[in-house]
Amino acid sequence: MTSIDLGLAGISLGAIAALSGIGLLVTYRTNGVLNLAQGGIATLVAYIFREMVVEWGLPIWLAAILALAVVSPGIGLLLERLVFRPLARRRASAAESLVASLGVLVLILGITAGIWGLGSRSDAPSLFPAHSVRLFGDTRIGVDALAELIMVVVFSVVIGLIAARTAFGRQIRAVVDDRQLAELSGVPADRVAAAGWAAGTTMAGLTGVLLAPRFQLTPYGLTLLVLETFAVVVAARLSSLPVAILTALGISILQSELRQFTLDGDAGQILTVLQSNLFIVALLILLLAVPKLRELGSGDSGATSSFSSRGAPPSGRVGQARFRRDYLGKLGGFALLLAPLTFAPSDLRSAFQVPALALIFLSMVIITGYSGQISLGAAGFAGLGALLSLKLANGDLFGLPALPGIWAILVGALLVAPVGLITGYPAIRRKGLTLALTTFAVGAVVSRFVFEQPTFASRLYIDPLTFFGHALNDKAFYVLELLCLGLGLLLVRNLHHGRLGRALLALRDNSGGAAAVGVDVRNLKLLAFTVSSVVAGLGGALLVHSSYTFSADDFAPLQSLLWFTAVVVFGADSSAGAIVAAAFIVTIDVLAPDGSSTLAVGILALALGWMPGGLASAVRGVLRLLAQYLADSFVDPNQRAPRPVPVRISAVGYLPATTGIVGNTGLPGIGATLGAARSGHNPAWPTPARPFARTAGVPAPTPFGAALVSAVQQYAAARAAQVSARAGAGSTTATGPAALSGPLADAGSGTRGPLGAAATHTARADSAPYGPGSPTQGGRR
Amino acid sequence: MSRGVLQGVGLVRRYGGLTAVDHVDLVAPPGMITGLIGPNGAGKSTLFSLLTGVEQPDEGQVLLGTTDISTMRPDIRSRRGLVQTFQVPSLFTSLTVADNLLVGAENRRRDYAGGLLGLSAQGRSRVSRTVAGVLERTGLAPKGPVDRVVEEVLSSLGLSDIRDTIAGTLPTGALRLVEFARALCAQPDILLLDEPASGLDNAETAKLSELLRQTAARGVGILIVDHDVDLIFSVADQVYAMVGGRVVASGDPGTVRDDPTVRSVYLAQAPLAAAGHAREGS
Repeated sequence: MTSIDLGLAGISLGAIAALSGIGLLVTYRTNGVLNLAQGGIATLVAYIFREMVVEWGLPIWLAAILALAVVSPGIGLLLERLVFRPLARRRASAAESLVASLGVLVLILGITAGIWGLGSRSDAPSLFPAHSVRLFGDTRIGVDALAELIMVVVFSVVIGLIAARTAFGRQIRAVVDDRQLAELSGVPADRVAAAGWAAGTTMAGLTGVLLAPRFQLTPYGLTLLVLETFAVVVAARLSSLPVAILTALGISILQSELRQFTLDGDAGQILTVLQSNLFIVALLILLLAVPKLRELGSGDSGATSSFSSRGAPPSGRVGQARFRRDYLGKLGGFALLLAPLTFAPSDLRSAFQVPALALIFLSMVIITGYSGQISLGAAGFAGLGALLSLKLANGDLFGLPALPGIWAILVGALLVAPVGLITGYPAIRRKGLTLALTTFAVGAVVSRFVFEQPTFASRLYIDPLTFFGHALNDKAFYVLELLCLGLGLLLVRNLHHGRLGRALLALRDNSGGAAAVGVDVRNLKLLAFTVSSVVAGLGGALLVHSSYTFSADDFAPLQSLLWFTAVVVFGADSSAGAIVAAAFIVTIDVLAPDGSSTLAVGILALALGWMPGGLASAVRGVLRLLAQYLADSFVDPNQRAPRPVPVRISAVGYLPATTGIVGNTGLPGIGATLGAARSGHNPAWPTPARPFARTAGVPAPTPFGAALVSAVQQYAAARAAQVSARAGAGSTTATGPAALSGPLADAGSGTRGPLGAAATHTARADSAPYGPGSPTQGGRR
Repeated sequence: MSRGVLQGVGLVRRYGGLTAVDHVDLVAPPGMITGLIGPNGAGKSTLFSLLTGVEQPDEGQVLLGTTDISTMRPDIRSRRGLVQTFQVPSLFTSLTVADNLLVGAENRRRDYAGGLLGLSAQGRSRVSRTVAGVLERTGLAPKGPVDRVVEEVLSSLGLSDIRDTIAGTLPTGALRLVEFARALCAQPDILLLDEPASGLDNAETAKLSELLRQTAARGVGILIVDHDVDLIFSVADQVYAMVGGRVVASGDPGTVRDDPTVRSVYLAQAPLAAAGHAREGS
């Protein structure tokens, strides 16, 4: 084939990538959501189209109209109404929207796999006849390529005209700028957003229908293909339509042109891989080269604090007391993890995957929960850990001598560290969308260039593990896994405690402020990435040993997305959540058909809108509601001196908000402000409980009981504060400054109310600058 | 004398065609309060970012003592004793007040790898640190020196009572105070304050100037940028006035206040005496 023929052959794929890019850009520019679910939607529509044509026997034109004019926009409208409108309403961060779109992706993949299975189909119908027309001489171009090219031109012209020339275009810009403000000015924001989604998903559907006949139709494969076209929107820096289209055509034609070259040796192999994977390589290179995407909204899109409901464990004695009480829960969890040892041999083998997967999830907890970064490359690190440990065990790595299996696992995991370190470098300056895409691209490139290459991933033998000459049986292997998990948990615990933990949380909360007091921002981020990659590598190595085989599919880039979603769903900052998530996925995979765990995680992810902190914090939330119910039922808010509180409660903890302000500021202004803050604020639950009157002989409550009791106290106190504040506001006698400070002061006293012991402990009425609108008066009314 | 002096020498910073900072020389000695005033767009904030390391100068040098720190990152400057606060208080919102201060106090060292292995306690040698850590964890040993710094600052600023409050729940006035406390905990040689009085009421501002004087009396150099000209003229030992990217007047507050250029700039905007009171209304 000549260069021109190759170029023309590349046009078709380039045009499809351009259509996908147009869809992504339309959704992003109208909604501020980078729709990671684009690939899933494309796949779903492609399957529906095939079903209508092949199974139901509909004519292609009718099926095309149904799939592209009814189903595709319908999916968009549904997503906008059910998932993304609520998020926009509560001004969710870009990171939350990103995770929501991940959830949608996982859900759609689950549905597709659930209905049509994971197998591949090669009978996807083509939208256009397989003819070609003569351009000049012998050069011919396919009808499909021509039609696709025309579609790209038409769509981009129409979109360009709408954006530049119509009132609707102005409305779009207004909504993107500030949705609430636009609505106040009479712009129908919901309609604009819905139109954006419908257009975006229609493009996605079109992409899927056009791509399917060119490749095998599989749920994961097609999705990944569409995800690779993200290179196009990154080149466009998320804004320029023409750049996106030209990049799409450029990459595709270049990829096609590469086919006329052949090289020998390693370079030849790389070239072969490049010939079909230029998009993903371009994605990585562009992300590393483009300094900053034009992300919409404020620059805080990297903040993932919303997934992490918890702060640092309180330092000092408070933390120690809680630490001891947590032992009970930890022992219980440990016992549950030991339970598989009593299982039948086949069930025990199924359980092998739980600790391995849990370790991989822990690696994501480190990055996302503790240092506040989104990382979508875990599968890459896990796979590298697996591959390196197997190579070490086989004596096949850089001429190193063969290591005994167990040591190979540990050393292999450590060898992932340099890769994590290198990946960490881009993370120093990147966050949010850019970092998410960068880590995804790293995972994908590693998968394509290493895991799927026979040079690296063939001739791998998994020998039974031995420990000083003794072969490990199944039970011993499971115990080894638990030991490794324990090691991982210890690392996570150390990362979360003490100076290091505080520095990491400081970095997550406010990196500028952290740098201002000397926190080494760069090295801490690198440390987090490195440790995370080692933990993932360890998990990957164990995963291979539990399934007795190395399969590139186990560490495919899409796995990272699924795993990340699972981790966020189960609580991104919770080690326990990571273990539960692993057990959940493995259990469903064992009991239910393929893809069910994907579906389950997807369903849970959709519920994330109602529980932003993941399941872990949802549990905490339910506890809080229960406490509110108990307080409503049993605590009388109008009582100034409440019924005697059992002594036991005072041994559990007291409310920090009950303390009056210390007078030694010598400064009424600041004192009042702080006082108001203390009484008005609703400290993150659970309250840091501080034992101050440990009564001997009183049995200590369980952690659950303690938490419940302190939650009841807190809610009752807040409610009492409201009631007395209302009473205080009703009194018209207060004048001048007192009228100002009245409600605040009352609130302060109200919170003190239900806790007799705490009130006597901290009464500092003498120093409180409350004035005549005194708390006691307000409370008595 | 050389240790702890912050010096800007011939600093230039351009944005495209605009020269935001134009050959500025500035000295902030230890134990003294140096004020930096100027109308909006005078280049104060840019100069401030050059000193803190958020931006780097196109020409000129930033010296701390005798060391050229022009190209160092903000966190390195901070570990060398140059600590800043922000226009918008930037606390660690999920940590308690006490933990915020602890982060301020304990990050002059950067051996985080020790923490990864569980050796996070304070001490001189690694062994004694480990032992101290075990003792502290079991509650048998008193708190380390870092904790003492934090306790001192907490009590001297009257923050002891909100020490266990989550910082994200505090109002602006308290946030500023906690941020200042956090900067103090880092035991700075030079403290750079960016509009520390914005958002504070009169009483809080009075308290702030008192704090500033006490801090300077302990040998800390303070450079303060603020719109509140009254605050600066009342606390500063020396004042720099910037207009259009250049320093137009410098010296003791009286001299700068009487400088004709300064007068004309501020009279054109608002009478000098009323500048501070305008804030009350807001």
